[in-house]
Amino acid sequence: MDGVFTLALLQNTLRTATPIVLAALGVALTEHVGVMNIGMDGMMLTGAFFAVVGSYFLSSWVGGLAVAILTGVLLGLLFALFVVKFKSDEFIIGVALNIFAGGLTVFLLRQMFGVKGAFSNPGIVPLPKITIPLLEKVPILGPLVSGNTLLVYVSWAMVLCCWLLIYKTPLGFWLRAAGEHPESLRSAGISPERMKTLASVLCGVFAGLAGAHLSLGYLTMFTENMTAARGFIAVACVIFGFANPPRVFLAALLFGFIDALGLRLQSVGVNSNLTAMAPYVITVAMMALVVVRAGRRKHKGKAELS
Amino acid sequence: MNKTIRALIPKRKAHEPGYALSLLISVLLALLVGAAIMAVSGYSPVEGYGALIKGAVGTNRAIGNTLARAVTLMVTGLAMAVAAQAGIFNVGGEGQLYLGGMASALVGAALSGWSPWIAIPLCLLAAMAAGGLYALLPAWLKVRLKVNEVITTIMLNSAAIYFCAYLANGPLRTTDKGIAAGTAAVDKAFLFSRLIPLSNLTQSALLAAGIALIVWYLMKRSVPGYEMKLTGQNERFARYMGIKTGRLALIAMVISGALCGLVGMFEVFGLHKRFIPSLSNEFYFDGMLVAMIMRYDPIGIVLMSVFFAALRIGGLSMELNVGISSELILIVQSVIIFFMAAERGVVEMFRAKRARQEAV
Repeated sequence: MDGVFTLALLQNTLRTATPIVLAALGVALTEHVGVMNIGMDGMMLTGAFFAVVGSYFLSSWVGGLAVAILTGVLLGLLFALFVVKFKSDEFIIGVALNIFAGGLTVFLLRQMFGVKGAFSNPGIVPLPKITIPLLEKVPILGPLVSGNTLLVYVSWAMVLCCWLLIYKTPLGFWLRAAGEHPESLRSAGISPERMKTLASVLCGVFAGLAGAHLSLGYLTMFTENMTAARGFIAVACVIFGFANPPRVFLAALLFGFIDALGLRLQSVGVNSNLTAMAPYVITVAMMALVVVRAGRRKHKGKAELS
Repeated sequence: MNKTIRALIPKRKAHEPGYALSLLISVLLALLVGAAIMAVSGYSPVEGYGALIKGAVGTNRAIGNTLARAVTLMVTGLAMAVAAQAGIFNVGGEGQLYLGGMASALVGAALSGWSPWIAIPLCLLAAMAAGGLYALLPAWLKVRLKVNEVITTIMLNSAAIYFCAYLANGPLRTTDKGIAAGTAAVDKAFLFSRLIPLSNLTQSALLAAGIALIVWYLMKRSVPGYEMKLTGQNERFARYMGIKTGRLALIAMVISGALCGLVGMFEVFGLHKRFIPSLSNEFYFDGMLVAMIMRYDPIGIVLMSVFFAALRIGGLSMELNVGISSELILIVQSVIIFFMAAERGVVEMFRAKRARQEAV
């Protein structure tokens, strides 16, 4: 197993965890306003596609990122239009969004680039890799922390920002109130609907970033259904982390690790189908575990009270 | 997950005239959206839809293919509806379908030489058991531990698909020449024969018709079906009424999984003669759409399956003959859902507006 646990494993962990981290932060925001965004996977997929479109046609990664974010904002508004304004069921809208995204991206892939399956082209500009001058030379930490693509650092910053936003600002208080006590919030003169819309739009922005990292971060291409249920894993991470950004971040890192471990095991000859199974099986096991533990804690709490 | 349960309660019955009208308008609008997309991408919508209709019902073979797809969508849609009636959102039908297909293919190959009268029922049982048991896991997690079933079933989809791919590529791979990946072939005597020559419509359609009848009876006429409905609508109330809600939810989910497993077997015994890793092309998700649009009404699901199947099969020939990517159909289908999901809210908004105007 010497060939498995290497520095590259940790590097891959960070790389594969990043889209899940970004997506999970978005889902966490909607979770706080009381909306579960099952449509995250489709939002990410659309973001990934339009990141490639932007990067290719504007010949710059900034363009790619901007187009991906814009796509995310639009999808967030669409989601809010149905879930908040028309009061449609969020699960049905989420499922419809995923199917819509699958159809739209493949359709546009055919129409815009004339290919089926995947689009890669030297014209797509990838996200820049950032090296941190002094840190770069430190052994182990250097190659790990330095030399990642831009969005890896953005995701770390965003974990902190989201935590501050949710728990330390009035806006975050209102967001949480919109989920927990919408009527109290309304009587305080703030519209819970507006808070829900805001959370959806921010969720869309994160979906755009997550997608951009998928298609411009560690691969420079778009592939049909390239999210491979990562959006759902992000939702699972939010459940594990009780929608608290630092905890969600840790859960996402764990999945990044499992993903990366799978890739390493593949290189030492373990069947690729079996390693691909692992993240999904572990998600299910973890979800059960978290609920059991939460239940036990509740029991304990009751015992202490009585 | 009270919200899921609440959301699953159809606010309006699928066969109300108002609902049918909304559905008709939604479908027409969605087709218009499709036409607009065709026009923007430089195709003639008339030509596109013309090719679609011709491809769906133009020849006997086309009709057979459309009906064959309708059978798949119908059974998967009914599977979704049974679980939804008891308040569980089964998004994992795709995985259950794969495992059902795999189990039936293995049994079908192992029993080579047996009398079809014994072997085929055993294959049916194997498919139902595999699908049903695989659905039992997330159902149990949901009922006992309150683990969100939407996420677990989606995760179990991917797990099952990769697992079956592993089996078909690895330990259970056939030794037959010319097969890239797949299990050993099922005995020819067990295979379903075609009802319309050259088309994909096989005897499985007859089985499916029986299934539809049973599911309709279960959901609409039987006592357990009514108890499931009460459970789905208001779990706590149902429990106070003395209904064993947990057990009912488990049973509903197992039935749902068993139906999906059967669809897997239909694919194997009707078309591929063995399990292949690309057994299904997200059939379950299509069936799910049908069920959601028809608000889990069994008769509605049967009718809508035919329409969705025609769109899908026609879409393929639209792609072949006019060059419009068949994924356009996915967009049209999801737009129908968007409209139908918004329908209630929009109607209510208009009503509130009118009430306000009258009040002034």
